[in-house]
Amino acid sequence: MNNLWTDTGYVSINKKGEQLCGDKVEIIGSSDSCLTLVLADGLGSGVKANILSTLTSKILSTMIDAGMSIEDCVDTIVKTLPVCQVRKVAYSTFTIIHIDHNDTARIIQFDNPNVIFLRNGRNVDYPIVSRMVGDKTVLESTIPLQLDDTFIAMSDGAIYAGVGKSLNFGWQRENIVDFAEAIFDWSMSAKTISTLIVDECNTLYEGEPGDDTTIACVKIKKRNPVNLMIGPPSDPKDVNMMMNLFFSKVGSKIVCGGTTSTLAAQFLGKPINTSIDYIDPEIPPIAHVEGIDLVTEGVITISRVVEYAKAYLSSNDITAPWANRKDGAAQIAQMLFEQATDINFFVGKAINPAHQNPNLPINFGIKIRLIQELAEYLKKMGKNIKVSYF
Amino acid sequence: MNIYICVGSSCHLKGSYNIIALMKEALAKHQLTDKVNVSAAFCLGRCTDGVTIKVDDEIVTGVSPENFDQIFAQYVLNKL
Repeated sequence: MNNLWTDTGYVSINKKGEQLCGDKVEIIGSSDSCLTLVLADGLGSGVKANILSTLTSKILSTMIDAGMSIEDCVDTIVKTLPVCQVRKVAYSTFTIIHIDHNDTARIIQFDNPNVIFLRNGRNVDYPIVSRMVGDKTVLESTIPLQLDDTFIAMSDGAIYAGVGKSLNFGWQRENIVDFAEAIFDWSMSAKTISTLIVDECNTLYEGEPGDDTTIACVKIKKRNPVNLMIGPPSDPKDVNMMMNLFFSKVGSKIVCGGTTSTLAAQFLGKPINTSIDYIDPEIPPIAHVEGIDLVTEGVITISRVVEYAKAYLSSNDITAPWANRKDGAAQIAQMLFEQATDINFFVGKAINPAHQNPNLPINFGIKIRLIQELAEYLKKMGKNIKVSYF
Repeated sequence: MNIYICVGSSCHLKGSYNIIALMKEALAKHQLTDKVNVSAAFCLGRCTDGVTIKVDDEIVTGVSPENFDQIFAQYVLNKL
């Protein structure tokens, strides 16, 4: 057990005019044990490619996760994929990144552009062993991991970006390497790295991608726990107990809700300074309390965070409107989506009598549902989530 | 003089943002920005009564853009 965490993220954009993406990324397992990421790129585009890549990524991730050999995996794929009536072949390229206990990476590649490996933010060539599996040449590598090691897998849409438009020969792999080195920052999440590269590809394609383009990134991070408290406990006698548990936790602290933050400030014996600046007219201002990293309003702010989380998880969202904003919801999103690896929710079930007014769109049920929804999305982002009710 | 404007969930939904803007505007218009300190406050505990403000120790509820001028005259101008 080390203090590391495997962060994963990916983004795809579809070929111009296509509703379905022919690239597919599948991630299974968890950072606590073994994690497998597969990026498959099906032959052609549209529905056929989508079926080929979906089958390939599902089969590979399931079999590799179960510890089966690459020979067995390739054999299964060859026997399973439907054969294209026009081209008479069944074909999907793939990249597999298998992380074992945040300690060793095994990379298996077939016909996708080679995975880029960054160590300390610089591109490093890694040993590749080429092997025949059936009639296919598969590349295999094993790399012992360090903090901040970053793997960038891509479909060939990435290296063709800009062909015949802004660039004659497209964006070569070495250009992507330069770009990745230039944007690298230790605090960046895998999703952000993927987003920035795909966004650049989209720009080179002048917004009209000539092929499905996908970037999937795996990054080794330090574990970073974040604790979020919302709502006072249902029994007022439990306030001290709840505060004690919350403030004894390791990691950053976020307190949401007016009453909750007032109680937390009292517990700490510090004044609460509410900011008067509305950065976003729809999100109430934040407050400052010494000893708490972020203090925000409750339900309205959290419902915006839930919206952000939903958009963040869709594989073709490349906007991330929260990334550079300073309002309460955007700051929570930055802390939870970008920085946190383990998140503890402290949810108080007290009913605020003022909120039971039928004219208000906020009530007790909504708060609990919002937190459950948010926890679900954060789990899908690969984070370790614990929700405790008081 | 200290004025606190509630920006808790309920008051926010009922328009704290506009009241803050109106308050800043009114203070500037009457050249009172040096004499009056405006801050925001989390929940002042009067959630059902519309936007709540606190002028020194006095709570004023149900502030809206319609009655703002009258409230400003009564609770702020009157007391200075």
